Formats: sequence, structure tokens, C-alpha cells
Amino acid sequence: MRGRLDGLEVALAGRDLEEALEELQARLIDQPSFYRGSSAVAYFGATLPSTEQVKRLRLILSGAGVSLRAFRGSNEDLEALARAEELEFERTGPALSRSARSLVADFAGARNDIAERRKRGEASVRRVKPEPSNQRAVELRLVETPPGTLYHTATLRGGQTLHHCGNIVVVGDVNPGAELIATGDILVFGRLAGIAHAGAQGDEAARIYAIDLAPTQLRIATFIAAEDPAEDRATPGPAAALARDGQIVLVPLARLNLPEFSGAAPA
Amino acid sequence: MSGRKIVITSGKGGVGKTTTTANLGATLAKRGRRVILIDADIGLRNLDLVLGLEKRIVFDLVEVAEGRCQLRQALIKDKRFDSLAILPAAQTREKDAIAPEQFAAIVASAAEQADYVLVDSPAGIETGFRNAVAGAAEAIVVTTPEVSAIRDADRVVGKIASEGKPIRLIVNRLRPEMVRSGDMLSVEDVCDVLSVELLGVVPDDEEVIDTTNRGEPIVLDESNRLRAIYDKIARRLEGELVPFTSFDQPTFLGRLIGALKVG
Amino acid sequence: MHQLQDEGQIVNGGAAGERKDAESKSAKLGRAIVLTSGKGGVGKTTTTANLGTALASRGASVVMIDADVGLRNLDIVLGLESRVKHHLLDVLEERVSVDDALVPGKHGERLFLLAAAQSREKDEVDTPKMQALVASLRERFDYVLIDSPAGIELGFKNAVVGADEAIVVCTPEVAAVRDVDRVVGLLGNRFRPQLIINRLRPQLVRKGKMLSVEDVNAILRLPLLGVIADEPEIIVTTNRGEPLALRATTPTGAAYHAIAARVAGEDVAVPMPPVAKASIFERLGSIFGGKRR
Repeated sequence: MRGRLDGLEVALAGRDLEEALEELQARLIDQPSFYRGSSAVAYFGATLPSTEQVKRLRLILSGAGVSLRAFRGSNEDLEALARAEELEFERTGPALSRSARSLVADFAGARNDIAERRKRGEASVRRVKPEPSNQRAVELRLVETPPGTLYHTATLRGGQTLHHCGNIVVVGDVNPGAELIATGDILVFGRLAGIAHAGAQGDEAARIYAIDLAPTQLRIATFIAAEDPAEDRATPGPAAALARDGQIVLVPLARLNLPEFSGAAPA
Repeated sequence: MSGRKIVITSGKGGVGKTTTTANLGATLAKRGRRVILIDADIGLRNLDLVLGLEKRIVFDLVEVAEGRCQLRQALIKDKRFDSLAILPAAQTREKDAIAPEQFAAIVASAAEQADYVLVDSPAGIETGFRNAVAGAAEAIVVTTPEVSAIRDADRVVGKIASEGKPIRLIVNRLRPEMVRSGDMLSVEDVCDVLSVELLGVVPDDEEVIDTTNRGEPIVLDESNRLRAIYDKIARRLEGELVPFTSFDQPTFLGRLIGALKVG
Repeated sequence: MHQLQDEGQIVNGGAAGERKDAESKSAKLGRAIVLTSGKGGVGKTTTTANLGTALASRGASVVMIDADVGLRNLDIVLGLESRVKHHLLDVLEERVSVDDALVPGKHGERLFLLAAAQSREKDEVDTPKMQALVASLRERFDYVLIDSPAGIELGFKNAVVGADEAIVVCTPEVAAVRDVDRVVGLLGNRFRPQLIINRLRPQLVRKGKMLSVEDVNAILRLPLLGVIADEPEIIVTTNRGEPLALRATTPTGAAYHAIAARVAGEDVAVPMPPVAKASIFERLGSIFGGKRR
């Protein structure tokens, strides 16, 4: 339990909820009138309380004259429960929706592969050629719109991250220590000096563009590349990074329209 | 046989913890020991920079703690040495992303694969420092011979000593000419205040900044005197009795001024 | 392009400072400025002491708060350690009034120190009370300077909470620049921090062995308040508790006074260390070339 400017915070995270509720009850019995009249915000961490447990919590608190005002957490389900119980909800930490959370898990999986392959000294992932379809042509119809583009007009400082299902456009610099992760393409209208991961769910055709491509590290799908410090920097200026033959190559913008680097997928 | 788990800390920032960790680790690796360096400064990671390994980071300390990867996947082998690897900190997280027990478990796991695990502690005495110390069985406190640094080191020594862990001292960035002119405390003064076993004295060297900027630990430079000094520190750490040599500093005019303890 | 950047920065520094001063005067509220850096050892405390001293010598009333609970140093740097009777936590926990805790500076200007506690912990600082304290001090002083601890943990957050402006201190080293960049990101949109570059060594910059001001600001892109050269006297005066700003005729003292003037909104040029002439050895050395980063 902790005092806050606007009342009481009750932390019930990180252990058995039943135990925590018992302890809370014991503590409130100890100091019955200290908190009388205040309101409380309950924090459950990753656990989702049952309606029974919420009822008990209310009871324990009201026994000490404390009203339950809100839940606090970053969990969508908890938020839903709060609404059902007619309580406020305070969001903490990165408010990851379920889909974003699964995205993070996917990135971890992709990076797992990268680390494994690096250990084995491999750079490439064998592409699986699709079986030629022996079905008749599928009717053309409108497919769902492609994921949107996250458009960020500010410089990213070290330690800041943008994770997005779709493309990312940054108008500004991406400083060393900053991280961009996109399932689609990444475009930096400025200096890219941090880490950029395009095609983060496996799209090897994804690209990374920047006015000044000077990254700490580039990742496309499951490929990873860092500058070799022994080599001289390629000609400065706008460039794109793309995956080709199992490696990430940097192409100056002016050369991007050559037939072999046209929009067609790498062979 | 599990390796030694040593935290390198200071209280005051900027006295050379990270540089010391990198150079001491490199020196031990050169002597044939298996060394793992762990950067505990989540959010302000620098150990990778100082060793020039920042571009090879795929996983970090927090991801190991969260079980999203194995320790061995996160370790980055420094190719310049046979047996030196680092576990980088996370840059985009905060110090409370990891609990002391989790950190201690990772250090213990590293100690099973190494002779030495050196933990680079963040500055201060808050959560980051507490996590860093939690994993260690011994401590090296780094200080410069300045009043503020010594006062902070004293606070840190007090905190660690209360846990019963052995502590040794490195006095860093000594400027003999300033000690001579009475403008800087001497090593004896520092030891008097802190009452901690002296492990080494490292003189100030203007090359160090450039080498940390370039990611090349200074002990790789055979012509730099710090290389021999770190070697002595490593030997003392391994239990050898290496005397502190006097360091005669002739002036530009060639006069011999009195001897000062350095080394 | 470089020149334009410079002019823009000078104008920004001056005009912003002026506007702030005007705003504050009209509302009779002092300016609360936090000095921070992320990386330790870059000179936050020395800078706070010198800036406060310089501002006070211009006639402003200044209170400096050492927010580094458990590792207090601002009192040493000001030479006041023997005069500290009460500290920040004594005030926040309402054992003494803030007036009892304020230690007047040694030199009679309107300069005061609120020292940190040495044997307490940073998480004992109550954040809303810290914020309230800074707010109340703003009503009484022209400037409230808050010396932040190193790092980005609770100590840093509590130092920032009451401030409405920020100055970041950086040394010309890659690690320091990265840390300051992180801090600027964390400070967020509420602040437009200004930059002081500390411990520059012009000879090393010229030899390509140290980052230049341009290198630093290529990443940080912050309005530059001033650049202080690395001088041995700084360590000496810190140990003795006599900030160099007391001697306005020394190059470093003058630089701090210029910074104070810029903070106050005057259109003074950005103080830069004098470029030393290359010695003959350096000129010979450069014939054989050196690898520039």
C-alpha cells in the first residue's frame, strides 16, 4: 500500500492474489481509521482478478472506510473488467494491445533466428519457393486494405522506440540508441543512426530508406547487418537498404531504378 | 568450479567504472581467463560502446531476464580476444525492468561458464546499483582522488561492507603533478579515508577518452603504459603480491622529483 | 549551414531566456531550472555551483537544491559542507522550515543552498512534496537551480518534477552524448533543454582525438548555452569549495558569467574556449597524418 497525492494505491501484483488480499485485510485492521475517507487504486500486475475477488477487495476496503475508485495496469482485459465494475482505469507503461503484444513476441522469435544463425556463421535463410498453383485463377476482389503507415514528425532520441504493424515514416533523425520496428517498410527523412528492423514479421521484400543511412544496425525480416568498420562508408546521401541473395545491401537512391533493383522481388 | 563474480562500482559517476571493467576484463582475457562482462546500466548502456561492440547487439540483459532468449544467445564474443564476451544492457528500458534476484540468477549462470564475471554498475546508489551488487560476491570500488568522489565511494563502501562482501579499491585518473602541488589528494590520503584494500592506481591518460570513443580498450595499445598497470591489477586480483612501483616523473627540464606510488 | 545553426542557437538562447525572464517577472515567479545529464561525472554539480554563483553576482536571488540524496556534493563544491545543519528531507518531512535549512553562500550575495541528505535514500523523497517545495521557492527566488543526480532513475525524476526548464551538461565523449540524448528524450515535450558542453580540450579536438562541438551537437541538436574548457583549476577549486565563477576574469569564470547572461536572456555570444595555437610538435605530427574518426 502506498500513499498517493489523490488517495491510496494498493499493490496486489506479483504474488498470489488471495494471499495479498488477506494481507491487505490484516494491515487495514491494524490501522482502522488511518485511511478512512480516502479512495484507492488497485494494481494487479499481470494477474486478472475474478469478480469474486473484486467483491472481496471492495469489502475489505470499505471496512476501513476506503472506497475503490480505479484499477491500474496495462492489460486490456483488466480495463474491460474495470468498466464492468464501473471503476476508472489508469493505464501504466506501454499500452500494448493484444496484437502489438503478439508482435513483440514475433520479433523475439525473429531475433532468436538471427542469433542462432549468427552463431552458426550463416547469413541467409533459404527461401521456400511456392508450389505452382494448379487451381484455376482466383477471382479478383478487393482485399483488406494494407496496414497503415505510422507517420512521426520528430527526431527519435536514444532509448525511444516505435513499433508498428505497417510502414513507419519518420521526419527527423533516428539517434543512436533509438529503435524502429515495422512489419512493412521504414523511411527516415533524416539521419538513421539507430536500429531499424523492417519486415519484422518475415517480409523479405521490405526496405529501409533514409536520407543519411548511418545505422548502428539494420534488420530486414530475419537478416541482420552492421557496418564493417574496416570498410569505408559508402557514398553518403539518400540510400535504401534491401535484402538480396540472403544479405542486406545498401543502394544509393540514384541507382534504385536500375532494372535489377526495380520493385520486383529479389530472385 | 564457478567463476568469481565481481561488481565494479563507485557511487560517483564518471570516475571510470566502465573503462575499468572493459580494460580489466580485456587484461584477464589476455591472460587466458574466460571472462564475461555484464553491463548493468539499463537505459544508459555504455559498456558495448567502450568495447566497440554496439553494432553486434541482438539481445540484451532484460530479454535474458524475461526468458525471451538464452544467455548464450545474448552474449557477444569480442573477436579481438579468445575468451571475452559481454552481455549488454537494454537501452530502451528502465532500471526496474529487472529484479535483483533475476539479475543475481543471470550472474550466477554466467559464472558457470567463466572464470570471471565482471559487472559494470551504474552510477548512484539506487535500484540499478542495488541490482548490480545483488549478483556479486566481491566488489571493486573505483574512485578518483577528489573529495566528492571519495565521499561517494565511502557511502558505497559502507553499503557493500554491510553485506559482508570483500571490497578492493582502484584509484583512477591520478595526476601526479597535481598531487605534488597539493591540488589533488594522494593515494595515501584516499586509502586513509576509505580503509579498503588497494588493488591498483591508474594515472590519468588523455588517450583514454579517444580509445573509449573508438571502442578500443586502451590495453590493446602496446605502447601505452596503462597496459602494464592493468596487468598488475589483474595479477593482484588473482592473488599475486605485486608491489606498487614508484613512479618517478621527470619534469621537462629533467629534474627528478620525489617518488609517487603508481601502478 | 553551420553558421545559420549557430545564429539560430544564439538567438534562441537569448530570446528564450529573455522571454522567460519577462514572463517570470510579470508573474513574480522565479525560474526553476534542472541541470542534468544522464552520465555521471560530466560536471553537473560544478556547473550548478558556478552558474548559481554567476547569476547571484549579477544581482539575482538564487537558491540551489542538491537533489542527489545519499551522495550529496553541491555543498562541498560551494565550500559550505561545514555549515549544513538541515537538509532536503528534513524540509520535505516537515521537521524544519525551509528557511532553517537554507544555507547562505559564503560571499554575501543572495545565494542559498538547500543540501541533500547524506545518509538517506532517494526513494524517500516524496514527489508531490518536492514539486510543492520547488513551487514555493519559485515565489521567493529569481532562480531555483536543481542539481540532478546521475542516471535516469527516481532521483532524476524527482529533480525534474518541479522544474520548468532544463539544462543538460555533456562532455565531448560518445558515451556522454548517448546518455544526454536519452535524457533529452525522457524529458519529453515539456522541456526544450539547452546545452552546456563541459571539459572540452581544444588541442585534442584539433588532433582528432576528441569530439568537437559540432560533433556533439550533430546528434543532440540543442541550443548551445556555452562551452567550458577542461582546466586543472576546476578540480582544484572544486576541492577547495571556491567556484571559479567567483573570479570573473579567469577564462572559465568569464565563460560561466557569459552563460549566466545568456540564461538571463542577454544577447551575449556563446562562450567558447580559446583555440590554442598548435605547438611545433603538433604541426610536425600532422604532416604524417592521423586517422580522424
